[in-house]
Amino acid sequence: MIQFKETSLAKVKDIMARYPSDKQKSALLPVLHLAQVEFDGWLDAPVMDYVAGLLNIEPIEVYEVASFYSMYNLKPVGKFVFEVCQTGPCMLNGSDDIIDYIKQKLSIGVGETTTDGLFTLKTVECLGACGYAPLMQFGKTYREHLTKQKVDTIIEECRAKAN
Amino acid sequence: MKSVEQKRINIMGRKLLLEKQQVEGIRHYDVYRREGGYRSVEKALKMQPNDIVEEVKKSGLRGRGGAGFPTGLKWSFLAKPDGVPRYLVCNADESEPGTFKDRYLMEFIPHILIEGMIVASYALGSNVSYIYIRGEYDWITDILDQAIVEAKENGWLGKNIQGSGFDCEMYVHRGAGAYICGEETALLESLEGKRGNPRIKPPFPAIKGLWGCPTVVNNVETLAAVVPIINEGAEEYAKIGVGKSTGTKLISACGNINKPGIYEIDMTISVEEFIYSDEYCGGIPNGKKLKACIPGGSSVPILPANLLLTTAKGEKRLMNYESLSDGGFASGSMMGSGGFIVLDEDQCIVRHTYTLARFYRHESCGQCSPCREGTGWMEKILLSIEKGKGKLSDIDLLWDIQRKIEGNTICPLGDAAAWPVAAAIRHFRDEFEWHVNNPEKCLTENFGLRHYADAIHVPV
Repeated sequence: MIQFKETSLAKVKDIMARYPSDKQKSALLPVLHLAQVEFDGWLDAPVMDYVAGLLNIEPIEVYEVASFYSMYNLKPVGKFVFEVCQTGPCMLNGSDDIIDYIKQKLSIGVGETTTDGLFTLKTVECLGACGYAPLMQFGKTYREHLTKQKVDTIIEECRAKAN
Repeated sequence: MKSVEQKRINIMGRKLLLEKQQVEGIRHYDVYRREGGYRSVEKALKMQPNDIVEEVKKSGLRGRGGAGFPTGLKWSFLAKPDGVPRYLVCNADESEPGTFKDRYLMEFIPHILIEGMIVASYALGSNVSYIYIRGEYDWITDILDQAIVEAKENGWLGKNIQGSGFDCEMYVHRGAGAYICGEETALLESLEGKRGNPRIKPPFPAIKGLWGCPTVVNNVETLAAVVPIINEGAEEYAKIGVGKSTGTKLISACGNINKPGIYEIDMTISVEEFIYSDEYCGGIPNGKKLKACIPGGSSVPILPANLLLTTAKGEKRLMNYESLSDGGFASGSMMGSGGFIVLDEDQCIVRHTYTLARFYRHESCGQCSPCREGTGWMEKILLSIEKGKGKLSDIDLLWDIQRKIEGNTICPLGDAAAWPVAAAIRHFRDEFEWHVNNPEKCLTENFGLRHYADAIHVPV
């Protein structure tokens, strides 16, 4: 049975209250963000159906939105997701080398997850932090001015957290 | 002459938005208020809403998101049918490559945005206003939520603000990773819980916007600029800058420069000064030479060093709307969003253009076939040229594709995808040809600076 925790349900209620009572569909993007955090970092079909029920909309309305926006994961991801920016300004500052280094270090390709289920590597387009390149999104925040040493440290931090 | 020089010295380096950026704790309400925050709301609430619109018109403020449309004029288009709510929506979906100025404002001085939005909401009659922020700025959403709570606790939001009888609620709405939602009608679709597919205009949002109601969508920096306009008055604001480029502009500088970051400029300084002076970008690292620059976000035309620093007429190019676009697309560019991307002599124009084409292919919403198909083709062809597998005819094919996208789509993303490719070929065609003619060499070497910084022959 898929169900938000009480605290999350309260948040859903809060979010819905931001929009006119007949426009509850507007809550869809923020509620999907909540769902992704709560249900293992990705949106499985039953999770999307559950969200549809909460907002009183059709499941297809959720699927078409979830598949449009790149921040929603439609398949399982690792416990830690590295989303490295690769657009122009980051490329000028060596993002290609950082991506290659992570690939080699974790023995995975872009879009793949390590066999232990810890890490997923994604490349993303402009994160809007070009002055701090190269960088990646890591959970709620960014890790900026990446170097190979910084990548090592982040990976070690993650491993320590997982143990 | 002396007085003009004098005027420039007096206002040079004048900061309106970032004036208090170094004040410790400016992110929080108490400090912000102590430093004079929310004065513009006090002043505005004593004015008639229409007078505020007139004031913004007089200030000459132009939209800071990229299009540069006069803000006051946009506000005056807002329809006001009886009994229908009107909405103000802040566009904080900053995602134009090279642009990261709104992030800085919201992260470090969030109350200036809230303050500007309260004034704008009052002027427009919006009782519920939204900030649509890009999904990746997750932690900034928390900062804004906190700022809104603080503003409300202190009586600047909610019912009967400061006893004026005006009610206003404000909410932050997080997107989920789609550049297209920076286009105002796509943003509204997204705010309604749908895919970010731009709408056909007309009707414009001023007539039918959010949930079919009259809506104004403004960029973060634009709304923040309302604060100094009200505080100092439109006339004072308009004295800063030059011509139709009034006030100050935030520039986010990145790429190959010594001091990447956010700079507030008064739009009278030269591009050369901006790149080389220690007050701004601080020059190019490792003593390298300037090869090219995209002065206003990835969508605007790239210029080689010579045309960037000097217009085709041989005049010094300045950091403002008029000067950056001097010469049109043939020899100029645009102010755009203020995303200033610098490329040094060792950068490859083909590779850089490829990453931008990949960006636009990824971000195309897929609604219009010229953009959906064309961006994919441009990406593939650019990659093959970059990898030394291109043909000379591919360069013409690229040109042909971008021409077929431009002007043939519902929203400006098509143009935004076409322009960088067009400008790269227009100014750097020989670099593309070199890639084709040197398929092995181009994998290990770059074309280099060549003649791109040479003085331009100015016809007499």
